[in-house]
Amino acid sequence: MYDTEKLGTDVNQNDTKISARNVQVYYGDTHAIKDVNVDIGSKAVTAFIGPSGCGKSTFLRCINRMNDTIDVCRVEGDIKIDGEDIYDKRVDPVQLRAKVGMVFQKPNPFPKSIYDNIAYGPRIHGLAKNKAELDEIVEKSLRRGAIWNEVKDRLHAPGTGLSGGQQQRLCIARAVATEPEVLLMDEPCSALDPIATAQVEELIDELRDQFSVVIVTHSMQQAARVSQKTAFFHLGNLVEYGDTSQIFTNPKDERTESYITGRIG
Amino acid sequence: MTDASLPNAGATPKSGSLHEIDARTKKRNAAEKRFRVYGVAAIATGIIFLIVLLFAILTNGLGAFHQTFISVPVYLDEAKLDKKGNRNIDDIKKVSTFGYNPLIQKAVLKAVEDAGIETPLTKSKNMKALVSASAAAQVRQAVIDNPALIGQTVEFRFLASSRVDGYLKGRVHREHLARDKNIDAEHLDIVDGLLPSGVVKKSFNPAFIFGADASESRAEQAGIGVSMIGSLFMMLVVLFLALPIGVAASIYLEEFAPKNRWTDLIEVNISNLAAVPSIVFGILGLAVFIQFMHLPQSAPLVGGLVLTLMTLPTIIISTRASLKAVPPSIRDAALGVGASKMQSVFHHVLPLAAPGILTGTIIGLAQALGETAPLLLIGMVGYIASNPPGGVVEGLMSPNSAMPAQIYEWAKRADPAYYERAWGGIIILLIFLISMNTLAVLLRRRFERRW
Ligand SMILES: Nc1ncnc2c1ncn2[C@@H]1O[C@H](COP(=O)(O)OP(=O)(O)O)[C@@H](O)[C@H]1O
Ligand SMILES: [Mg+2]
Repeated sequence: MYDTEKLGTDVNQNDTKISARNVQVYYGDTHAIKDVNVDIGSKAVTAFIGPSGCGKSTFLRCINRMNDTIDVCRVEGDIKIDGEDIYDKRVDPVQLRAKVGMVFQKPNPFPKSIYDNIAYGPRIHGLAKNKAELDEIVEKSLRRGAIWNEVKDRLHAPGTGLSGGQQQRLCIARAVATEPEVLLMDEPCSALDPIATAQVEELIDELRDQFSVVIVTHSMQQAARVSQKTAFFHLGNLVEYGDTSQIFTNPKDERTESYITGRIG
Repeated sequence: MTDASLPNAGATPKSGSLHEIDARTKKRNAAEKRFRVYGVAAIATGIIFLIVLLFAILTNGLGAFHQTFISVPVYLDEAKLDKKGNRNIDDIKKVSTFGYNPLIQKAVLKAVEDAGIETPLTKSKNMKALVSASAAAQVRQAVIDNPALIGQTVEFRFLASSRVDGYLKGRVHREHLARDKNIDAEHLDIVDGLLPSGVVKKSFNPAFIFGADASESRAEQAGIGVSMIGSLFMMLVVLFLALPIGVAASIYLEEFAPKNRWTDLIEVNISNLAAVPSIVFGILGLAVFIQFMHLPQSAPLVGGLVLTLMTLPTIIISTRASLKAVPPSIRDAALGVGASKMQSVFHHVLPLAAPGILTGTIIGLAQALGETAPLLLIGMVGYIASNPPGGVVEGLMSPNSAMPAQIYEWAKRADPAYYERAWGGIIILLIFLISMNTLAVLLRRRFERRW
């Protein structure tokens, strides 16, 4: 079997943002993530690909400790962000999640106004001193989410009234409003039509300037289009990790090859 | 052409013609039709029962809202009411209601004479059976409130006695008078004679809605108002205890508690509690609140506590159901932007669940409002609440009754006039329940889930 430990360090990455060592995840007795080692670069888009049920989402959710909310879930090993262990006792997951934003598979705006959707995070983290500052954050976030022009005239309309693609960009804007450093996206385009998908992909490419983006996708074309690094998961193992171009043109592991050529998955 | 079609005509097609219905389909259709007929019949039966019930309630109960009154000018004789003539309020108060009765009877007799009614009842004492026993107290109160009335002739509107009222409502029949020692046929002749001039008149009686209960012999005076206040105080206790406790318990169980054997056990027990007969809560209340904690008997506070115990499971179950109905993606969204568990619950989940919680609470309150059995055991039945409470503390602590208990009490009394009042009380209780349930439906409609 491929030596994943070596894989992770193999990657020539000057500034590592997230580093995972010997991560194991169990759901009760199910061993969902098996000894994963990976270094995720800063200011880059990293894609997780792999067949359904291979543990992509599970691993992604380890990075902002969303798995804490699942009773039966147990995480072992080390995950460090900027060299700090996020599973350390001193870490408050709430604070961590402000630093590691997340966008979910299904667009899930709050059933509140567009403005309140964006303003919620900054409000609870005390990022704005007054209304003017909050307005500014809302505008900036909506611009980053590439949705400002579409909603600037109806900031107080409900966020749930937008189209699916708009809702997802709103959710991205909501995630960036708390000024995170890492942005996790779990199949953000799977509920969107091709046009909305293209818009979101374009947005992800722009977000790379400011954030470390980790995106789970079941679409290999999408991974190829938006990411610089790709990690291929299979049955809970991280099979192969490397530059996206290399993974897609010259995979080293035969399982990766079978997957990208459509033989497994 | 015919030749060509011959081979086909001989072979019967495997799957029959679509134009004729096969036996199997016919049977299925018949079964479906039968089922629909059963359904319609069931609903029709329900509606018929409902109509019969409503008809019975209205015909029996509407009478309670109308009462017969006798309006006569009463001469407030100074010689009887203030012998010393110096209008000293203490002296005036010394005259009991017995002192007033002759004046009232005289006034009624005068009205009878004025109307020119031929009657063997020529003594003022004979008029006693016509007027409610409450009349004397009414005049006395007026005099005490304003002693200047003494010596004048003042127009009063008295309640007629319940027999007179019953006669005008068709409840008291002349044929049965032989067995009734409260009234004679001659009295009824007088009533008939006084009707045209408007001295005896049936009109709307607000005292039934706002007044207090009365003794067995004064059915015409009894009202449901004071027990309504008793019910109101009980509902306040239930609302202020059951809502916060129920909602807090539900939020904890639904959002925070680990899923283990203990929480499973609690869950099962909550469902069981919802099915416990209310009288069990009544005896529990008697043992704990009255015998152990020495809270006053018949007090709305105790009633409210007992009903709180009874309503809690209902509120917890409906609150948990509405919390469960909030999609988990909302919780994820809140946690994802760094909200704490509690913030996610209070900022996002609870507002979305609120209409459901409110609906459940109102329905729980409506249930509690109509509950009678537990009140039997803590002494809220059979108590004659004669005065409305003076304040909140008194309202909670001093003995009172409650609407359903009052209705039960009236239904128990021998005088048929009370039977009518029991039905009237039911109308009022039903109006409360229907309004509460309508409010619940409206709230649910108004805040229909929007996500
Ligand atoms: N909440 C959960 N409880 C139990 N098992 C889970 C849970 N979530 C995921 N799993 C299991 O973990 C494995 C990985 O799931 P997941 O990470 O969702 O896969 P992917 O996102 O790659 O499709 C699957 O076998 C799945 O059944
Ligand atoms: Mg997934």
